[in-house]
Amino acid sequence: MTDSEQAPGLDGEQLVWIFTQMLRIREFEERVKRSFEESPGVIRGHTHLADGAEASIVGSLAALRPGDQLMTTYRCHGYPIALGTDPNAIMAEIYGRKDGLCGGYGGSMHLVDTERGFLGTSGIVGQGIPQATGVAYAAQIRNRTRSPQVVLCFFGDGASKQGAFSESLNVASLWKLPIVYVMENNSYNVVTRVEQEDANAAAGEPLAVKAKAFSMPGVTVDGGDPVAVHQRVATAVARARSGDGPTLVESKVYRLSAHGNIIAPPGVPLHFPEHEAIEVFGAPEEYEAAKRGDPVPRFRARLVTEGIISADEADRIAGEVRAEMQSAVDFALDSPHPEAEAALNYVYA
Amino acid sequence: MAREIPYIAAINEAIHLEMARDDTVLYFGQNLATTENDEFVKAFGHDRVRVTPISETAEIGMAVGAALAGLRPVVELYMAEFMLVAMDQVVNEAPRFRYMSGGKVKVPLVLKAGYGFTAGWAGQHTGSIYGMFMGVPGLKVALPATAADAKGLMATAIRDDNPVCFFHHYLLTLEPGEVPEGEYLVPFGQADIRRAGGDVTIVATGWMVGKALAAAEALASEGIDAEVIDPRTLEPLDIATILTSVEKTGRLVLVDQATRHASASAVIAAEVAEHGFSALKAPIAQVTGLDATVPYSEPMEAYVLPDEAKIAGAVHQVLGSAPVTA
Amino acid sequence: MAQLDSGVAPALLRTMWRIRRFEERVAQLKRTMQVHGLVHLSIGGEGVAAAVCHQLRDDDAMYSGHRAHGHAIAKGAPLGPLMAELMGRVDGLCHGLGGSMHVVDVEHGLFGATGVVGGNIPLALGTALAARMRGSDQATVVFFGDGAVQAGHFSESVNLAALWELPVILVCENNGFAEFTPRSAHTSIELVSDVVSVYGFRRQTVDGSDVPALWAAFAEILDTAREGRGPMLLECLTHRRRGHYEGDAEAYRDQLAEEEWRRRDPVARLQADAIAAGWLDEAAVAAMAEEAADEVEVAVAFARASPFPEPELMEELVYAKAGSEE
Repeated sequence: MTDSEQAPGLDGEQLVWIFTQMLRIREFEERVKRSFEESPGVIRGHTHLADGAEASIVGSLAALRPGDQLMTTYRCHGYPIALGTDPNAIMAEIYGRKDGLCGGYGGSMHLVDTERGFLGTSGIVGQGIPQATGVAYAAQIRNRTRSPQVVLCFFGDGASKQGAFSESLNVASLWKLPIVYVMENNSYNVVTRVEQEDANAAAGEPLAVKAKAFSMPGVTVDGGDPVAVHQRVATAVARARSGDGPTLVESKVYRLSAHGNIIAPPGVPLHFPEHEAIEVFGAPEEYEAAKRGDPVPRFRARLVTEGIISADEADRIAGEVRAEMQSAVDFALDSPHPEAEAALNYVYA
Repeated sequence: MAREIPYIAAINEAIHLEMARDDTVLYFGQNLATTENDEFVKAFGHDRVRVTPISETAEIGMAVGAALAGLRPVVELYMAEFMLVAMDQVVNEAPRFRYMSGGKVKVPLVLKAGYGFTAGWAGQHTGSIYGMFMGVPGLKVALPATAADAKGLMATAIRDDNPVCFFHHYLLTLEPGEVPEGEYLVPFGQADIRRAGGDVTIVATGWMVGKALAAAEALASEGIDAEVIDPRTLEPLDIATILTSVEKTGRLVLVDQATRHASASAVIAAEVAEHGFSALKAPIAQVTGLDATVPYSEPMEAYVLPDEAKIAGAVHQVLGSAPVTA
Repeated sequence: MAQLDSGVAPALLRTMWRIRRFEERVAQLKRTMQVHGLVHLSIGGEGVAAAVCHQLRDDDAMYSGHRAHGHAIAKGAPLGPLMAELMGRVDGLCHGLGGSMHVVDVEHGLFGATGVVGGNIPLALGTALAARMRGSDQATVVFFGDGAVQAGHFSESVNLAALWELPVILVCENNGFAEFTPRSAHTSIELVSDVVSVYGFRRQTVDGSDVPALWAAFAEILDTAREGRGPMLLECLTHRRRGHYEGDAEAYRDQLAEEEWRRRDPVARLQADAIAAGWLDEAAVAAMAEEAADEVEVAVAFARASPFPEPELMEELVYAKAGSEE
């Protein structure tokens, strides 16, 4: 990818939008996490938060246009929030309520908003990658006479060891599918460090080198900088849309929460443990460094410094966001549980 | 109008007709569409008909994604065992997506795979593993035994808005049958009474249907009148027709090429034991594949499979008309 | 770097003729249904099999795929039991249970062949790991074709082998085809070496019909493996002489000329080299080919004289029993 292929820059309005969405995702995820203390028992099973990845999520989505599509992993709350899905419905889904985005059928890991192009997730590491590839195949052939839709496929570094990853990238490259593979590399696969499971990481290489095995460009970007992410992803999106095929974008992020809440049998209160860097690897300094580099305050500071927004404006936005997500929590708590018999709906179309 | 065509031609005819009727239907898989002379490529072009590498996870996963995006893929997998490589997509993704989304999406796709190829294809290519795909909510399973059913069930499978495993028996590939021309649909969940009779009910699947019919003919000359039923789809499974038959005959023999605990016959036996118990005059008899990986050597291969003699033996057993032979 | 010499070349040629004559005979027997089922011949692959296996010990581990006869013979499998296996007889290497695609000869280190493309590659990793844990210098070699490279389990294995630096030797026979489709329909990367280069594999790409080059390349690779270092890839560019399987009409290969085959026939090339180097003369070479044919006939007679297995044999072998040796 040459410099001449850089995507157009972002104007002030777009930067403020990005900042706002990052705040919304952060606040939403914080409220999900606090639910475990504030309302024990409302969230069952396993939930995964994207705090720390906001810049990567929003920067990527900012490169899409209406009609484009995406699929993600089970760490999926942030994407529909940025796309405009009602956070009330998302929170209600996480609480398993009737007014949830999926009627309480899916839960935290299985959000869907087809109207906004978000076709779904997989709870199984890597298995959404071939699915997104199929969405891109559909986009390719139904858009022969006009500019095609592009598909973003989000997954983590852990997924890149799955056969599903290599098979999909091979086919997408061969067929020149209009897809961008965005690997959010947060250096952890649950409680395993990437160097413990990835030959490239163990050799000190960026994971983007894997793209060479599929004849596609691979780039690494600071996933904490939404402008940089947007620039890289937009370039890849343009390449895909022009029919030149896929790109692998390695977006380096750090998740600020543990992989997910603890897994425990019913009766044991669920909560979020400390991040694995602290709990498992005894490296609190790594975590502290990541917190200091937190992309949300970092971007806020940049916008204020560059005069895009004032500190007061930033505070005002934050206040609105807090109120919005408080409403989401209230809405979810008030939403009734689905009728038990509803369990037999939707098995077959 | 009907004419005789082979089983495999009937399947291809169904795919062709559906692809002509609905341009959202795709057909892809390994070793397909590799030349411009390929009939599907000529008719529908390289967008809708594609060859894939040896990548079952990607093939089936892509089918899921394309279905989510509004298309209707048919994936050519050749052999049921090749689906095992991609079990997650088949069992954990395709059938569950709609449900988990609360009905927002649907996943119309067909996984076409041959099975049961006992002809020396040996251990890894020969299984009858449809049992693994029964009882998966959201997944349907079709198992045609005739050319006409192969055409009709494939057409129905393609039009069905759910993921369907379409298993076609390899030994029936060239078996001719009368197949209606043009649009022809066989509904899912409707068993076919292939031979009416009053003395015993024989339920058989796939290649076993022909063996059951042959056994029935031989038994007829002994004065035993057997009713032979082909369920045609295992999911949904038409238990009602089987129960009605058992009400009439009181005796049930189940024939299945799969191994006992992974067979359709075990499922049917349980249903009849629970819902048709009072009609039974004798315990149900199952004639299934024996519990071994299918061996290569011919006499051993034949040994592990149901055959006419074993079926006839089971009929005598439920009629109490001959001693049980080991 | 080890070089072929007058001591080694004749031995290799002898093995290659044994493979060639064996496979030609199997093709004949298949046509007359004395060998049944799915058979994949190694004609054209003799050079790779001999150059690799002659440098291995009996206790070195080898895995192969569905095209395993050549590897088995080169590794030391006796022709009689191998032929008997293909004929499904009780004196076959696997007592007739496995057939062509599933041969095992533990005595000579052939831990198994598999009918699922690439399915053996993860197995080889395990064996290499076990060797290292025992502190042994046992080598592990796994043969596969270029089609396997696109299967997900290949990449999964490559990452793990590289991460754990396993002393496993991947030997890829890249004949430019996977079943019936050319490599270009499977992937945009022509050389398998380029696929694994991303993982820092030690790798070599060699003309698969150039036995001296294969010998030297593998010798170097083997030294590395014996030191417990790895992983390694030997990519052999070969030409598959007959169809994918016997019965394959090969319409897709029309453009390959006899000329091309003569150039790439490893047996013809090594013979020409050996004669030119003065290691053998025409008469000696002709005698080798004839002796090989005679050996194969002895094997056929052995196989024909062997009875078919008794069915009860299978029941013994489905599960390992506590304390059982086999």
